[in-house]
Amino acid sequence: MLDTRVAQSAIDHAIALGADFAEVFVERNQINNIATLSSQVRDIASGIDFGVGVRVVYGTNVLYGYTNRTDQEELKRIVSELAAKDRRDPAAVSQAFDFRVAADAHRAERTLSKDAEVGDKVAYLVAADRAARKASNLISQTQGACTQRQQGVEIFNSEGLHIRDTRHYVRASLRAVASNGTEQATGSRNDGGLLGWEIVETLDPAECGSEAARQALVNLSAKPCPSGRMPVVIGNGFGGVIFHEACGHLLETTSVAKQASVFHDRLGEVVANPVVNAVDDGTLLREWGSINVDDEGMATERTQLIKDGVLVNFLADRVGAAQTGLPRTGSGRRQSYQYAPASRMRNTFIESGDDSFDDMIASIDRGLYASHMGGGSVQPGTGEFNFAVVEGYYVEDGKVRYPVKAATLISTGPDVLRRISMVGRDFALATGMCGSVSGMVPTTVGQATLKVDDILVGGNA
Amino acid sequence: MAANGIESNARHVLDRVVNAGAAGDLVVREAASLSLKAHAGLLEEHKVTSTRVYGVRAVKDDRAGIAYSEADDAAALDSMVDQALVNAAFARVDPNEGVAPGDTALTTDDAILSPTDATTVEAKIDTALHIERELTARDKVRNLPYNGVQDITATRYVFSTTGRTARSQGRVCSVHAYALASDAGKDALEGVQWHGRRFDEIDTEWIIEETYRRCLAMLQGEAIPSRHYDVLFDAEHQADLFAVFADMFSAKTARDGINPLRDKVGEQVAVEALTIRDAPLDADGLRYALFDDEGLSTATTDLIDAGVLNTLAHNSATAAHFDVPNTGNAERSPRSSLGVGLHQLEIAPGDVTESSLTSGEYLEIVDLAGLHSGANTVSGDFSFGAAGFLCRDGQRLRPVRNITVAGNFYEMLTKIAAIGDTQHWNPERSALMARIRFADVAISG
Repeated sequence: MLDTRVAQSAIDHAIALGADFAEVFVERNQINNIATLSSQVRDIASGIDFGVGVRVVYGTNVLYGYTNRTDQEELKRIVSELAAKDRRDPAAVSQAFDFRVAADAHRAERTLSKDAEVGDKVAYLVAADRAARKASNLISQTQGACTQRQQGVEIFNSEGLHIRDTRHYVRASLRAVASNGTEQATGSRNDGGLLGWEIVETLDPAECGSEAARQALVNLSAKPCPSGRMPVVIGNGFGGVIFHEACGHLLETTSVAKQASVFHDRLGEVVANPVVNAVDDGTLLREWGSINVDDEGMATERTQLIKDGVLVNFLADRVGAAQTGLPRTGSGRRQSYQYAPASRMRNTFIESGDDSFDDMIASIDRGLYASHMGGGSVQPGTGEFNFAVVEGYYVEDGKVRYPVKAATLISTGPDVLRRISMVGRDFALATGMCGSVSGMVPTTVGQATLKVDDILVGGNA
Repeated sequence: MAANGIESNARHVLDRVVNAGAAGDLVVREAASLSLKAHAGLLEEHKVTSTRVYGVRAVKDDRAGIAYSEADDAAALDSMVDQALVNAAFARVDPNEGVAPGDTALTTDDAILSPTDATTVEAKIDTALHIERELTARDKVRNLPYNGVQDITATRYVFSTTGRTARSQGRVCSVHAYALASDAGKDALEGVQWHGRRFDEIDTEWIIEETYRRCLAMLQGEAIPSRHYDVLFDAEHQADLFAVFADMFSAKTARDGINPLRDKVGEQVAVEALTIRDAPLDADGLRYALFDDEGLSTATTDLIDAGVLNTLAHNSATAAHFDVPNTGNAERSPRSSLGVGLHQLEIAPGDVTESSLTSGEYLEIVDLAGLHSGANTVSGDFSFGAAGFLCRDGQRLRPVRNITVAGNFYEMLTKIAAIGDTQHWNPERSALMARIRFADVAISG
């Protein structure tokens, strides 16, 4: 995508200005978005993002710039501007490039560069709409979306790395709106992965539509949620967002190196209940958060984060590794050429346990069953987090009683890790988008249903 | 009117659209920025960027398709147009979505919206390092996890096949500092942000002192008992709250059947004391907009007048759909389809003095978490993490954190206890608002 001589020139220029490390990241991102409203196409948008990011590193100081241009003069201008304050006599030597193409473990078939397959995608979303409306005449509207993206990256660095990789992402979703004339409520379902449109062969539009409708109807009948501290059973799949937000972000060297994570000095210590085993794995076949190589060109890997409650590893990118002395984990990721890479999660999950759902519910006098979680956020420095519950039920005397709405879970990462007391067997993964210092990246969260003994529930009752 | 070949590229794109028997418009966004972050006495991030992106909307046979490109060679632009036309072929028929007629040329004054100053890059770097150094030297401050200095100059262009052209350049300088303080096993992460058009207007010492003051003030915060309280939000978070639910004013969501206010125009939707406007032409705001993203002139629009929903915000397509006047609220980035958005929200002053507004017991919210994940704009239900101060008669009694604030936003508009008589800009200077005292809000602690 970029003339090798141009990349070499920019890197040589950075090294000549005294940089310890220099990198050129080239990205060509082809995208196609389809949005439907009811059974009609609302929007179709497509385009190409193309740009070049230049990273210049002095010690552990990262200087970064980007442009849409590909000429040698522009890249050298950016390097010169970045290095203006740090320039010094050369301290490193740039190596000649050794080109390779990343081994593709997630081969896609129905790719965007072959055919956007708009008609087929629209047919899928329309079938999902039909299924949602068939569920109930209270379903007043649906919004479908299908996004396919083909991201080609080429990475050069001063250590001689020159690698190309292509990632194929696809995601399909349906949101249903239920209305009883006075109130409205929503439900949704989404699927995605690191593959092409062949994902449709594993999806059932009827299941997608009926699930979105089911959740919207449950929420339409939901009562205000009781509030206060109580035990919470968190559902499988996207329920794993609780670990992602509450703990995963605190295990990225982005936070650890700055001592902005409450876990920065806890390596080797017990940080969770012994039933907790947590992993971040970039290698899972065709999963949404998987990669062949990270955005620094390193082959990705499986990283055990917590073993039997003990913190055993952090997620490290190149600079994070240099700052902390920890090994790199193939976790350097970024949204696009507009961001410098940072340590980021991939497919992050709590491994299965051996408890049953019935036992979890039976153990609760007054609490919440959060069967489906929404998004949330965390302050890495304090560990304080919040998660929205998108489908929840009040639990009393060991039984699930009635659906509740507008609930939020509030706690801190360290606290919730200690209070996970039961982990079930129904492990599942779910797709999401994670926002942090290097932009939005596809990530998978996962867990089996689990119980947290005590957590603050915000509700409106 | 446009530099760097943008005008000739626009002609090239629109000629191709016309030659294909279509109409269309082109949005171009161009930006140059400097971003700095400091850590441990050194620059942690020094980012220099320049970008340009073209986005075309082609309308043919009453179907609209869009495509964009970050490359601007002739082949890339041609491909973009062709892709938009292909996309249009799959789109639903919508006779209301066309290209707004007219051939006006609008441009803003760079001297006002994009002023230059003599601040050098080195001085900006020194500012970033100075703030980080000064704050981390303070007692109880561990570090500054979030801090930064930014200087962004952005230009937006609109061109249409009817001959309409519009150009506006704006500059935004900003500084933010959020410090992590610890004391006796308790942590607090608090800070401030400042936004303006000139770098030399930044009051660095205020940023340092205010960040430190807020950190210390929140350090000993604790939860309060769960019950319903009167609540006042600070300017930043009151603006955030209204921004989360801004779709309630969108005629596009109304057309799509997901706006609960769709059939409420002309009806009372809030207390009589509440008047809300979109005020794009207030040049004190950083979201000043002489024209919308269809290139049409903007104007002040009364959205809620004395509690009555006066109109929704429209672009040309929604105005045609509902057969009402266009309010000049078209919103479209190069990558997105034609939508609706507010420019600068204004809440008109009420008739309650500050002392009356803050009489008795209330909760002052100065931090909200989970704004986008914890809100359902269709139902109006929300539940956010929050922090603030329990107050009485304008005095802060004690800091409060680890609480949630929950309710239904649309119902809250009908349970406003009072509206202050003074307007305040939010830190981003995107909303000018009188303070609202919401009654009887559910707080969990």
